[in-house]
Amino acid sequence: MLGQLWGICRYEFRMQLRKRSLWISTVLLLTFAVVTQGDRGPRHVPMEATAREVMGNWTVLFWIMLPLVFGVVLADRVVRDRRLGVRGLLLGLPVGEGRLLAGKYLGGIAATGLPGLLALLAAAGYEAVHRGTIATFGWALVGFLTVMLPGLAFVAGFALVCPLLVSAPLFRVLFVGYWFWGNLTAPRFLPSLTGTLLTPVGAYPASWLLGEPVMHAGVPGWLAMLRPEPTGAAALGSVALLLVIGVLPLVVTVLLRKEGRA
Amino acid sequence: MDIQITGLHQRFGRVVALDSVDLSIPGGMYGLLGTNGAGKTTLMRIIAGVLAPTAGQVRVGGHDLTTRKGRVAVRRRLGYLPQDLGLYPDLSAREFLDYVGLLKGLDETAARRRQVGELLELVGLADVADRRLKGFSGGMRRRVGIAQALLGDPALLVVDEPTAGLDPEERVRFRTLLGSLAGERTVLLSTHIVEDVAQTCRQAAVLTAGRVRYTGPVVELARLAEGMTWEVNAPAGAPPPAGVVVSAISQPSGTRYRVVSEAPPGPDAVAVAPSLEDGYVALMRRPAR
Repeated sequence: MLGQLWGICRYEFRMQLRKRSLWISTVLLLTFAVVTQGDRGPRHVPMEATAREVMGNWTVLFWIMLPLVFGVVLADRVVRDRRLGVRGLLLGLPVGEGRLLAGKYLGGIAATGLPGLLALLAAAGYEAVHRGTIATFGWALVGFLTVMLPGLAFVAGFALVCPLLVSAPLFRVLFVGYWFWGNLTAPRFLPSLTGTLLTPVGAYPASWLLGEPVMHAGVPGWLAMLRPEPTGAAALGSVALLLVIGVLPLVVTVLLRKEGRA
Repeated sequence: MDIQITGLHQRFGRVVALDSVDLSIPGGMYGLLGTNGAGKTTLMRIIAGVLAPTAGQVRVGGHDLTTRKGRVAVRRRLGYLPQDLGLYPDLSAREFLDYVGLLKGLDETAARRRQVGELLELVGLADVADRRLKGFSGGMRRRVGIAQALLGDPALLVVDEPTAGLDPEERVRFRTLLGSLAGERTVLLSTHIVEDVAQTCRQAAVLTAGRVRYTGPVVELARLAEGMTWEVNAPAGAPPPAGVVVSAISQPSGTRYRVVSEAPPGPDAVAVAPSLEDGYVALMRRPAR
């Protein structure tokens, strides 16, 4: 049982890491983010700032746009089994739908998470040299685990499953629209999910990391009940919600596929 | 692993894919012949436990395939090569087989790797085992397909149209390989290429429009055309007026036709011994009961 899950996860991870588009688009987007960060970006954080603040800024900078790449890349991971003709083969194997999808989910998160983690570690290395503290590495890991990973888990759940309903290209278009509307649009301009506990851009964990509200966390307006005061507990709640909601589409899909499968 | 099928029906909406199919498939190599759309793939998918039958009884090695438990049990002892075989292009042949081995529950790494290596040798892909599958030809992909089906030493091997699209050399090679695999296991070969069955199977069934038209020894199927198989010379462009032309060979003096017909197709027609293909054609000419 665990051998199968581990196997699917391992090979999904391996296949995705070999996808050149994952690396090229990540590098291009991160380069763009670093070059255009402006004077509010992490390169301009004062020298007296803590390692936590510095790496919190880098995490936010990277994570604002990086999920766009990951959502787009992950969109074909399940549907491609049918496109490639592998699905027929998988159906004849003694492996359950739940394990198949769970393996793809975990392998997908690991493969897309790796470039994000490497980017943060590279930034931590730069800051360690620049500021003379290796604490930046620790806070890079914290940023990855609290902001990137839960958001990625949320994005991965939907990106794997939704293309079964709306096709991968259409999902990608809708996902880009959702990302800007649901994560970056100021809620006082347009009713949006931005700044709620449910934003995979990680407004609450990022606010906790930086020690001040960012990305509209806690602002009043539409869906105000989902924008509580940004605290450590709220950040924890947001992380838990993102992880649980990310798994929901997978659970529904497994139940539906079990129903349809012989 | 014997297969017993009784009164099998399969519907897809309003389309009847299989209609009152009764079959008894013993161990060894067994051929399933039929035209495209005859229901062969549907039957293979049911036997492989991939598709639940609409009605009827299917027992494979004693497992009842009308139940989920039975289908799962069969999948554990099954090697399945589907008609539309797809592979992950970003993996090498060795990696792909290792992956399928894991999915088949071969958890012991050393044993799995050893078996993968042996199968790559068996299908003649050891030299290219570490090359990505995206560069493989159709024949090589089919060989990877048969290797993955053999992982775990399955008692039942279900191969659906395995030689479709292969060049003659690959086809012969593949056929020989399949023939050598039967031994103790049941190998169910579905194809519309009569020659593949003629060269590998002792028993066969013929399916048309979802119904079984023939079941029994392959030699008996050939005998259905006994006294009905003729060869006749005719000027080019003038095929014999009666019967079904099985083959036409162009010659300087005209064309030599092989014809299946109740009556001689011409005054100089010569009766010849029927082949399996002739028997198949003769069967197809009979009205369905």
